[in-house]
Amino acid sequence: MTTSELVFDPFSPAFYNDPYPIYRRMQDEAPVYYNAEYDFYALTRHADVAPAFKDYETYSSAKGIDLATIKSGELPDPPSVIFMDPPDHRYMRSLVNKVFTPRAMESQRQMVVGTIDRYAAALDPDEFDVVADFSGPFPVDVITQMLGVPEEYRQQVRHWIDEALRREPGNIGMTETGLQAAIENGLMYYNLVQQRRKDPQDDMISGLIAAEVMRENGEKRALDDIEIASFVSLLGGAGAETVTKLIGNAVTIFARHLEQWQEVRDDRSKVAAAVEEVLRFEAPSQYNVRFSMKEVTLHGVTIPAGKPVFLCAGAANRDPEAFTDAGSFDINRDRTEAQNLGFGYGIHSCLGAALARMEGAVALDRLLDLMPGFEVKWDRCKRVEMINVAGWSNVPVRVIR
Amino acid sequence: MRVVVDFGLCESNGVCAGIAPDVFELGDDDRLAVLTGDLPDGNIDRLTDAARQCPRQAITVVEN
Repeated sequence: MTTSELVFDPFSPAFYNDPYPIYRRMQDEAPVYYNAEYDFYALTRHADVAPAFKDYETYSSAKGIDLATIKSGELPDPPSVIFMDPPDHRYMRSLVNKVFTPRAMESQRQMVVGTIDRYAAALDPDEFDVVADFSGPFPVDVITQMLGVPEEYRQQVRHWIDEALRREPGNIGMTETGLQAAIENGLMYYNLVQQRRKDPQDDMISGLIAAEVMRENGEKRALDDIEIASFVSLLGGAGAETVTKLIGNAVTIFARHLEQWQEVRDDRSKVAAAVEEVLRFEAPSQYNVRFSMKEVTLHGVTIPAGKPVFLCAGAANRDPEAFTDAGSFDINRDRTEAQNLGFGYGIHSCLGAALARMEGAVALDRLLDLMPGFEVKWDRCKRVEMINVAGWSNVPVRVIR
Repeated sequence: MRVVVDFGLCESNGVCAGIAPDVFELGDDDRLAVLTGDLPDGNIDRLTDAARQCPRQAITVVEN
């Protein structure tokens, strides 16, 4: 019987390695968890997390969505769209949301397939690293093509973002090299915006230069160069990091469920459902942090106003109260039981969900072709230690035919 | 009962159209068309599901 102290430390090796036993205990023992060391609260039950994502008046994004930013009391200037509440959020998001609809994504399918195929064709057919050789390089290539980043910078963007999101265990803030990487990444985009102002192209940076955003006073105005650089660097990072983790997570999960790998291999109509189940079972985005705008009392615990609150989608997606056999990976599960929070929920739900689903499905389909059977070299697998995203930086596999 | 869509929130994800294609339809221009007016009560489960699964929480089911 376990009597150990319940510790949810999202900057600890225990969390990076396997957060699920910790979530499970939080759901049972402390549905409103309080971490005294960092002074934050955390919600893990589906019935609490989903409504909290919807309730932006209580759980604000306007102070930041990671612990360090909220605690510092300082937002990046200009704040990006993920650090906004309505109505500003609506104005900013409306500038780009039509670019990412499922229908709009269909028009990008050829580019997405072409890009993924290019990386798939370069893999050693007998042995490769799913993340380092494949799911790391292709998503950043796709999103930066959409944004309009020249080829020579595309992979560099990924290395910059990796560094900026990396957290040393026990440290909630960016490393020195992370800060430097974020600056270089921002500068690259800033220079690109200036180039596109002179010479517009058919890309998202040029689109944002031409767009006007509504302000609260009802007037419209264009975005300045720094606002655009900040916006596209956010999109570049979001598009690069998440699908990378999704595919790495998929392969490590399927390695333990090879019968389901075979099932999807035999019936490719199940690829989309497989992607959804990976998102439920091990979402790349495990949590978002919000800021309590007023006092909230849940399950007998009062969260005071002005506190960081972790909304743990990764935990909610494994809540046994919401999903039958929540702890089992099952591509055939009834997906209508509860909302899969892998892409978040409500106003800040993932803008790029349709792109991520398409990339995920195409990439998984290629891996099913490339790897009739496979084994993961677990001793050489490496997890990332990052804020807000969870997964692997290395998943070496040996292909079995 | 009837459904109300907040078009300020809707981003044409089309999840609702997948669940209840007779009530929601996504046009070629990515605009969502919604069947207005009173709908038979037998639709409640599907429409509630569509509202719940909308990633943007843009749909409200209004019961009479």
